[in-house]
Amino acid sequence: MGAYLLRRLLQMIPLVLGISVIVFMVLVMAPGDPVDLLLAGNPRVRAEDIQLLRQIYGLDDPLHIRYLKWLAAALRGDFGYSRTYQIPVLDLVWDRIGNSMWLTVPSFFLALAVAVPVGVYSALRQYSVADYAATFFTFFGVSIPAFWFGIMMIYVFAVVLRVLPPGGFSTPGVPPGWPALVDRLQYMVLPVVVLSLLQMAALTRYTRSSMLEVIRQDYVRTARAKGLAEAVVIRRHALRNALIPIVTILALSIPALFAGAPLTETVFAWPGIGRLIVESVGGGDYATAQVALLFLAMLVLVFNLLADLAYALLDPRIRYD
Amino acid sequence: MTDAGDDGMAEVRPGESSGRGVALAVRPTPRVRPVVGQSYWQIALARLRRHRVAMFGGCTILVLVATAVLSPWIAPYAPTHIDLTNRMSLPSWRHPLGTDELGHDVLTRLLYAGRVSLTVGFSAALASALVGTLVGLVSGFYGGWLDNVLMRFVDIMLSIPDLPILIILARYFGGSLLGIILVITAFGWMGTARLVRGEVLKLKRTDFVEAARALGASNARIMLRHLVPNTLAPVIVAATLAVGGAILTEAALSYLGFGIQPPTPSWGNMLQNAQDFIWRTPLLAFWPGLMIFLTVLCFNFFGDGLRDAFDPRLKP
Repeated sequence: MGAYLLRRLLQMIPLVLGISVIVFMVLVMAPGDPVDLLLAGNPRVRAEDIQLLRQIYGLDDPLHIRYLKWLAAALRGDFGYSRTYQIPVLDLVWDRIGNSMWLTVPSFFLALAVAVPVGVYSALRQYSVADYAATFFTFFGVSIPAFWFGIMMIYVFAVVLRVLPPGGFSTPGVPPGWPALVDRLQYMVLPVVVLSLLQMAALTRYTRSSMLEVIRQDYVRTARAKGLAEAVVIRRHALRNALIPIVTILALSIPALFAGAPLTETVFAWPGIGRLIVESVGGGDYATAQVALLFLAMLVLVFNLLADLAYALLDPRIRYD
Repeated sequence: MTDAGDDGMAEVRPGESSGRGVALAVRPTPRVRPVVGQSYWQIALARLRRHRVAMFGGCTILVLVATAVLSPWIAPYAPTHIDLTNRMSLPSWRHPLGTDELGHDVLTRLLYAGRVSLTVGFSAALASALVGTLVGLVSGFYGGWLDNVLMRFVDIMLSIPDLPILIILARYFGGSLLGIILVITAFGWMGTARLVRGEVLKLKRTDFVEAARALGASNARIMLRHLVPNTLAPVIVAATLAVGGAILTEAALSYLGFGIQPPTPSWGNMLQNAQDFIWRTPLLAFWPGLMIFLTVLCFNFFGDGLRDAFDPRLKP
C-alpha cells in the first residue's frame, strides 16, 4: 500500500504541472493588457512609466520565462492581488471556499442519504413501478438545468409560500450563536437541494446498476441457498459489495459539487467560490478566477487519489504491489 | 443502464427436445428457421423502434428541430420586434406566451432561441465526437509514447472542472456562436477519446484486423475501414448524450452572461433577467427553462435507447 501510494503521488507530479500550464495560459490569454488595465483612466502616465511597469511585471519576457516566474511565485503561495477586492487572491479564495462548504457538505450528505436507499430499492424491485419512478427521477435530475430548477424553487418557496428566503447568505442584524445558525439554515435549504440534485440523480443510477450486478453473483445465490434471511443476504452480502464502486463515485462527487457551484451560487446569491469565479470573470479580475480554477482542479486530483486509495482498501481482490 | 438479460441459457425449442426412447427412431429433421439476413445496424434500428421512451425522445427532437428551422415562417413576430406598449404582458391573443421586460414576444424568442441551442448542441457534439475519435484512434493504434502523451493530456483536461474554465474561456471568446461551440468542444472530446482508444486496443488484436494486415492493408486503411466502423456505435451513443450536455452548458453560460449575447435570443440568456421579475411575471422564467429541460431530457431518452439498442448483451 505504501509503495502504491508513493507511486500514485509521483504520477501526480506531471499532472499538476500540466494543469498549472493550462491555468497559466488562461491568464496569458486574458483580454486586455494588465498594465493598461492597471492604469486605465490615468491621463498623467507617460510612455516611459508604462515601459518600466512592463519590465517590473516581466510582461515582455518570453512565455516560458513568464511561466517559470509565475510557477515559482505560486509555489511560495504568492498569487498576486485581486483587482476588485485589493487583497491577496489566496485569502479571498480561502474565504469563499469556506462559504461554499456550507452548501457542498450538506449537499453531499443529502445526495448520499437519498441516492443509496432509492438505488438499492430500485434494483431489488427491478421493473416495478417504484423502479420506473426512480429511473425517471434520474433522467429528470441529469436533464434539468440547475439554475432553472433553482429559480422555480425560489418561486414556489419564497414567492408563493413565503416560507424560505429567495437568496442570500444571512439576515443582517441577527445575533451570533444559535440565532445566526438557525438563520443560516433557512438560507441553506433551497441551494443545498438544488446543488445536490444532479449528484443525487447520478448516484442513484450508479447504485442501482451496481446493485443489479451484484445480486446476480454466485455468492449471493450461495448466501440464499444456505438459508440466510433475505435481509441479511441483501445487507451483508449484496450491499457491502455493491457499495465498493459507489465509494469511488462518491469521492468524485465532491469536486463535482464545487464545479457545479457557479450556477447554484449565482441563482441564490451565495458568496462562495463558484460565484467568485462568475463575478471575477465578469469584472475582468482574471488573477482571482485563475486561482479559483487552480483550486478546483487540485480538488479533482486529490479526490481522484482518495477514490483510488479507498477502492484499494475496500476491495480485497485488488492488490497493488 | 446495465439490465443484462436474466437467462443467458439457450432456450430449448420443442422440436429439439431430446426425448428419451427416440434415440433409435429416425431423428426428426430439425425445424430450420429461415435465416433472414439482418445487419447489426438493422437489428439495432428494429430494437430502437420498439423502445417507446427513445421513440418519444426522438420524435420530440424532430419536432423541436422542425420548429427551429421553420421559426422565421411560424413565429408571430421578428425576434427583435419590440412592442413598447405591451411590456411584461400576460399571455394574450396578440402574444400567446406574453412579452418580456423589453416588449419582445416570448413565443417568438423561444422559437428563435431553439435555433441557437440546437445549433450549439449538434455542432459541439459532432466536433467533440470527431476530435475524440481521432485522438482515441491514433492513441490506441500507435500506442507507445504517443499514446502516453495523449492519454496524460486527456487526464489533465479531465482534471480541470469544466464549467469554471468554460466560463473564463467563453468570456475571452466574446460570446459569439462559433466561440461557444469551440469552447464546449475543447472540453468535450476526452470521454470519446478514452472510449475509442479502449475499443481500438481490443479490436487491434482481433483476427480480422490481423487478416487485413496480412493482405497488405495500410495502417490508414485498417483504421478507416476496420477500426472506425466498429467503434461507431458507442461513439454515436456518446455523441447523442453529448448534444443534451452541450445544450445544458450553453444555457448555463448564457444564463451567467458569458454565452450568447442579447439581442440574439438563447434559452439561457432569456432566463438571465427573468429571475429579477419573478415576483411580477413568473411565467417569464418558466418557458425558456422548460424548453431546455424538455430538449435535454429527450436527447437523454434517445441516447439511452440507442445504448440499449446497440448493446449486444441484451436480448434482441
